[in-house]
Formats: sequence, structure tokens, C-alpha cells
Amino acid sequence: MRGSRPLALALLVLAVVFAIMAIFYFTQKTNFLASGRPALHWKHAIVFTVLTLLAVVAANFARPKSISA
Amino acid sequence: MLSAGLILFLAALQGVTELFPVSSLGHAVVVPRLIGLNFNETSPAFVPVLALLHLGTAAALLFLYRRDWARIITGFFRAAARGRIDDPDQRLAIMLVVGTVPTGIIGFLLQDPLKSLFGDPRAASIFLIVNGGILFAAEMFRRRDEKRRRLDGAPVLAHEEDDPAYQPIEGLSLRTALIVGFFQAGALLPGISRSGITMAAGLVAGLRHEEAARFAFLLATPIILAAGLLEVPNLGADAPTFGVGIAAAALAGIVAYASARFLLRYLRLGRLDPFAYYCAALGAAGLVFIH
Repeated sequence: MRGSRPLALALLVLAVVFAIMAIFYFTQKTNFLASGRPALHWKHAIVFTVLTLLAVVAANFARPKSISA
Repeated sequence: MLSAGLILFLAALQGVTELFPVSSLGHAVVVPRLIGLNFNETSPAFVPVLALLHLGTAAALLFLYRRDWARIITGFFRAAARGRIDDPDQRLAIMLVVGTVPTGIIGFLLQDPLKSLFGDPRAASIFLIVNGGILFAAEMFRRRDEKRRRLDGAPVLAHEEDDPAYQPIEGLSLRTALIVGFFQAGALLPGISRSGITMAAGLVAGLRHEEAARFAFLLATPIILAAGLLEVPNLGADAPTFGVGIAAAALAGIVAYASARFLLRYLRLGRLDPFAYYCAALGAAGLVFIH
């Protein structure tokens, strides 16, 4: 695979967004994208943490590799 | 709160039906009503109890494929660190990730509207009939493909494992794994079987029957495990006693393990049609007898 620097950057930006969402859900009582009264939605936090890690892995796959790598 | 007897009944039912392509959730919603066990499927305890049983099923699958999972997990970390796929284990690991993410995201976003369907046995009955149709269609597609190949002069082989036209999981492309993953999201509906829909998609993609089941089981494991781990803390005040909970999860796991071994052996020569007819019959019975 040749890789794509713009795609890798886009995935990294996505990872940052997911990480911010994860921190938000870990620390704030909210009902944003969740049902019920404002609360700490740790399930949302865990899901966004997993998505952050997957986006970083996907960015690593998407980045251009040197020929020797 | 659900009684201990009902929880153990649901555990046995879950163990048998989770890995057979017949929808465990559809059974958990339809069968108790059909046999006159009246309980509220919209009770806050119902989904977390099912999730607890899922932990038993997930443990059975992890045990069944323990060597595969050791290779898959190692392969994932190697591929993730290097940013490329170098061997079949790494490829399988990335395929499972790619196939799991769509269901995970869709299930997470739609969990509340989907839970409302659990209290509707007639909807589950309709989805069971649809599930039967999916299994039947997949087998019909496979039969047509086999017939076309015979007409093209391919040798008639008694055992599908010997046929090079049908492949093991490692022969799938990542795109196909992604498509199968989207199909798996259909199993969030009560009555649509996770293993059934992924086996059907695997057959259409050209997998052997036994490999389609293996792929379905491997693909189901992370989702079943995650659903269990995320949902069990919601048991709260309605939780069964510790002993009942452990016994139910263990029963679900043991029955699921036996079911998976049976199904893998059956699919070496058998097809999905009997499960298709069974789902259609159960769904029809639900529509006729549940009001």
C-alpha cells in the first residue's frame, strides 16, 4: 500500500476529536448524545476512547511508508 | 426482578440459540410468551441479565478459539505498531476489527430505540421470519453457484473442504470484512441472528460453510463480550443474587460451547436450510399465537 498523507492527517484529527469527546464524557455530567438526565456517561467515554485508539491505528496504516520499512 | 428459574431458563435458551443461526434475542423475546411465561421484557433488568448471559457465551467462544485469539491479538498489536499487514494472523486481526466497528457504532448509537423493540414479540416474530429468509437466500445463492460451476466443468466433490473454489477466512478482502460487519449490525434487531447473518454473508462472499461459521463466531466474540461488559453494571437493584448470576452465565457458556462444537461439525457437510425453516416456523407461530 502506498499510503496517503492527507488521509493519515484526517484520521489523526478524528482521533483528537474522539479523545476530546472521551475526556468530556469522563469528566462532565451531560446528556449530550445520551438519553436521560445529565450524568457521567462512562460507557460513552469508553467507546470514544476505543474509537480514539482505532483512529490512531488507522492513521498509522494510512501514512506513507518508506520503501525500506 | 426476574426469578432464578426464569434466569436459568433464559441461560439455557441463550446458550443454545446464541451461536446457532436462529437469534438468541428473538428467542428470549418470543419463546417465553409462546410457552406462557409471562414477564416484562421491557423490565430494566431484562437486557442486563441477557448481557450477563452473553459473558458466559463470550467465554465459551474465547475458550473454543483460544489459540486463534492468542494469534489474533498478537497479530493486531504487531500490525498496529508497524502500520502494515505482514502475515495471515495480522490480516485476520485487522479483518475482525474492520468487521466489528460498524456494528459497535450502530449498536451504540441506536441502543435506546432498539431496546424498545424487545417488548414487542410480534416484531421479533416478523424478524425471525426475515432471518429464515436470509438463511434460505444465502443457501439458494450457494446452490446456484455450485450448479453453475458444475455446468462449467468443475469436478463434483463430496466434501466442500476439498473444493478450491470456496475459501478459508484468510482469503477474504478487508472490504468484504467491512461489508460483513455492516450485515452483522442487522442482528441488533431481535429476531435477526448475528451468527446467521454473518454466516449468510460469508457464504455469499465465497467462504466454505465451516469457515463461514468460524468467521461468524470470531466476529461475534468482541461484540458479545463488549455488550456484556458494558451492560452488566446496569443490573443495579434488579440484579440476581451472585450465585444465580454465576450459575446462569456458566450454564449459558457450557451450552454455547456444546452448541458451537455441534454446529461446526454439522456444517462440514450440512447446510443452513433447516435453521431457515425453523426460524420461519417459530416466527409464524409467534405471529399466530402471541396477541
